[in-house]
Amino acid sequence: MSSRDGSAGGAAATARWTGMRGLAQVPSYVILQPTTLCNLDCAYCYLPFRAADRRMPVEVAAAVAATVNKWAERAPRYSVVWHGGEPLTAGRAGLAALMAPFRGVEHHVQTNATLIDDDWCDFFTAHGVRVGVSIDGPSDLTGQRVDRGGRPAYDRIMRGIAALRRRAIPFAALCVVTEPRPGLAVRLYDFFLELGCYALGINVEEHEGVNTRSTAYPEQSVRAFWAELAGAWRAAPRIELREIEWALRYAGATLAGAADELLPRQHDPVPTIGYDGRVVLLSPELAGFTDPGYGDFASGNVRETPLYEIVAAAAAHPGGWVAEYLAGVEACRTSCPYFGFCGGAHAANRYFEHGRFDGTETDHCRNSKIRLLEGVLDHAGAN
Amino acid sequence: MPEPTDPIAERMRGTTGLGRLLAEADSVWRSRAEAGDADPEVAAWRPFEDAFPTFYQFTNRPPR
Repeated sequence: MSSRDGSAGGAAATARWTGMRGLAQVPSYVILQPTTLCNLDCAYCYLPFRAADRRMPVEVAAAVAATVNKWAERAPRYSVVWHGGEPLTAGRAGLAALMAPFRGVEHHVQTNATLIDDDWCDFFTAHGVRVGVSIDGPSDLTGQRVDRGGRPAYDRIMRGIAALRRRAIPFAALCVVTEPRPGLAVRLYDFFLELGCYALGINVEEHEGVNTRSTAYPEQSVRAFWAELAGAWRAAPRIELREIEWALRYAGATLAGAADELLPRQHDPVPTIGYDGRVVLLSPELAGFTDPGYGDFASGNVRETPLYEIVAAAAAHPGGWVAEYLAGVEACRTSCPYFGFCGGAHAANRYFEHGRFDGTETDHCRNSKIRLLEGVLDHAGAN
Repeated sequence: MPEPTDPIAERMRGTTGLGRLLAEADSVWRSRAEAGDADPEVAAWRPFEDAFPTFYQFTNRPPR
């Protein structure tokens, strides 16, 4: 067995990776926060201001659109993602006003689904909005999704999803898994097959933001979870299962001698535009936080500077925490044999786990990258 | 100077059954491409943008 957890890779093994060097000048998508408010209060949520309704003014959206519309003209497809808080708490009129300045883009929402009804379905159809819902499996596994009164949100989530299905609106799903372990994966996958989503992402809980719960799960439990999930997908591959298919794609490229071609040449800067116009690059999870050393993590504000200038300046002359992060990526490149699969530990995970950006391996790396790949190989080797 | 070794690639090459699993995955991707508007000759994932919020955390998503 060759596991990062158990054995090693070393600099000589990894220096050949050529992707993920520096920041691209143009992102392939942007994330906007129409409101900080969420109508739920999930136990593992990282968002600091989810009880406050701080809304994005239309002027901020218009300032973003002034740049994004030009980027979209030069791309085959361009995504604008409305992420919260819970974006639907901005209301249909509010969201429509924020979307109005954009041209030639595809809109997406990631929603807890509790507010979805026929009127929202009409809205999604009218605006061509692609929908991602957040649900963690059957009612007991979704039990950490609660409202401010501590009441389970499961029934409301399922009502919203029923509306999507009734109206034949396709949806993807994101599932947070706490304590991955054997026995869980098959149950989850069967649930999502029944739910009717066309794509599924599994987010192992992360130690991030205001969620300070430990995510140092046992290696064998996590590997067994991923191995079991690989088997479940293999038996019924009707859902596009992000993690398993991603690992298989990497394995196929590796055996074909083409693994280095999978990583993008540069990091996508992934600008997240907060409700107030502040732009945080690379990790949406950092938006809204401040640190005595790093400040508010913002690279600028679209109320003062065009978005394209903010991104281009950070790409040309990365400074502050972004420069530290890029140094961290180089440390990953030369020390981790999984770099070609991963592309480097995510910025928010580095910060919230290590307190800085130039460390390397995180719990998130172990749970969601290393043990994922090893678990899929475990499954392949046993079948 | 010896060629650098890749312990992950070595593990993959030594994993019995991986080739069969990859062949099955390739068949799934090819079927998916045939069902959609992608090139049916190319076994591929669904376009990233189709499920964007679900996939945004993947910094190493495949290029177009």
